[in-house]
Amino acid sequence: MKTSFLDRESTVASVGFNRFLVPPAALAVHLSIGQAYAFSTFNLPLTKLIGITHQDPADWHATDVGWTFSIAIAILGLSAAVFGRWVERVGPRKSMFVAALCFGGGFIVAAIGVRLHQLWLLYLGYGVLGGCGLGIGYISPVSTLIKWFPDRPGMATGMAIMGFGGGALIAAPLSLALMEHFRTTTSNGVVEAFVTMGVIYFTYMMIGVINIRVPAAGWRPAGWTPSAVSRSMVTKADVLVSQAWRTPQFWLLWGVLCMNVSAGIGVLGQASPMIQEIFPGQVTASAAAGFVGLLSLFNMGGRFFWATTSDYLGRRNTYFVFFILGIVLYCTVPSIGHLGSIPLFVAAFAVIISMYGGGFATIPAYLRDVFGTLNVGAIHGRLLTAWAVAGVLGPQLFTYLRRFQIGHGIAKAQAYSLTMYLMCALLLIGLLCDAAMRPVAERFHVRDSGKP
Amino acid sequence: MRLRLLVLWLAVGLPLAWGIYETLLNAMKLFS
Repeated sequence: MKTSFLDRESTVASVGFNRFLVPPAALAVHLSIGQAYAFSTFNLPLTKLIGITHQDPADWHATDVGWTFSIAIAILGLSAAVFGRWVERVGPRKSMFVAALCFGGGFIVAAIGVRLHQLWLLYLGYGVLGGCGLGIGYISPVSTLIKWFPDRPGMATGMAIMGFGGGALIAAPLSLALMEHFRTTTSNGVVEAFVTMGVIYFTYMMIGVINIRVPAAGWRPAGWTPSAVSRSMVTKADVLVSQAWRTPQFWLLWGVLCMNVSAGIGVLGQASPMIQEIFPGQVTASAAAGFVGLLSLFNMGGRFFWATTSDYLGRRNTYFVFFILGIVLYCTVPSIGHLGSIPLFVAAFAVIISMYGGGFATIPAYLRDVFGTLNVGAIHGRLLTAWAVAGVLGPQLFTYLRRFQIGHGIAKAQAYSLTMYLMCALLLIGLLCDAAMRPVAERFHVRDSGKP
Repeated sequence: MRLRLLVLWLAVGLPLAWGIYETLLNAMKLFS
């Protein structure tokens, strides 16, 4: 049977292929889909499509528009879980291509929705179609990178997943610049910006599609041999995705990811009002935006730093650091607030958010250690449902507890203290899950996975 | 192969560097 350019068989690398060509191919996809974190730059303009300079009664409400991002993230988790096995089967090139079509096409459908002022088309375009692009794009290069870098799996996946954090740093100024460029007296430029971004991101993701390669069967880095010394938490066997989710280890790791994300995502969503309310009169709205930007930088940097560090520390120990250091920092934040030290406050949250990003980037290598490389992409896809749950749990807990305290007469500046202790409790649950991790029982192992 | 490696890394590195620069400019407001 004739193979097409997109088939896995066409992506097998020839002898002498430089494996460092693979991380930028993966980054091209992750830098694109990372745009999702900057979707909020469109929130306000989307509520002024008719009024242009003010909100007309016929304009969409902020809460309606806000659902677009929530739908996209929910579909991200869902599509990663559903399409994980398909991604493993067809290989990275075809799955990246489908992700590019979905993500770029999602922008175009969303632009039509904005032009026709049909909210459901915006949800369908950016939320559902774009969300599928996010989910498939997120998992498609992960198992390929792990296979190319068996000696440094944390560093390799950290590099790609760092792109997802970095995508927002590019998309935020790009979105603002495009809307400014296309603004007229009758349009605030959202439609044109959506179409342009759809075309740009599709084209950019094609860089990944064209350059991605999988290693030939049995390939190993020159001069590298798998460690003969057995490490208790690193398996040499493989577990199928159909078996993996039946193991306690899958659910313990689900808890590890869910708690780590919940503790960070609540803070990220409320970072701007939080710093302004804890330091009233000292931090302006503009400075608070700078704080949010700084956190995004640490979110991105933490993904590469912590995932790379995990190659030396071990995955379980790295998560021990996240949880223990996170608990210590969250416990000290209320005291730092009382002290009135802005630099200490910023430093504490910079470290916390770096570990939030690090949690995302280290989990694929942790899964590889525990379940082997055979189905790691599909297992990673299923584990990402923890992200979807945390995306609701974290912000809801954070805002509910704060509102509850303010409702009981506590000053706004102090209303964050209890919230910080709640984050400690979430991290403690994650710590217990991590501590309970043991190697997968042999009965779940694949009898013959073709390994030597 | 080396040229391809350089071009690819520049293709992802330059937009990222621009994003980091813009973000750092914004973040400076926190300490000004």
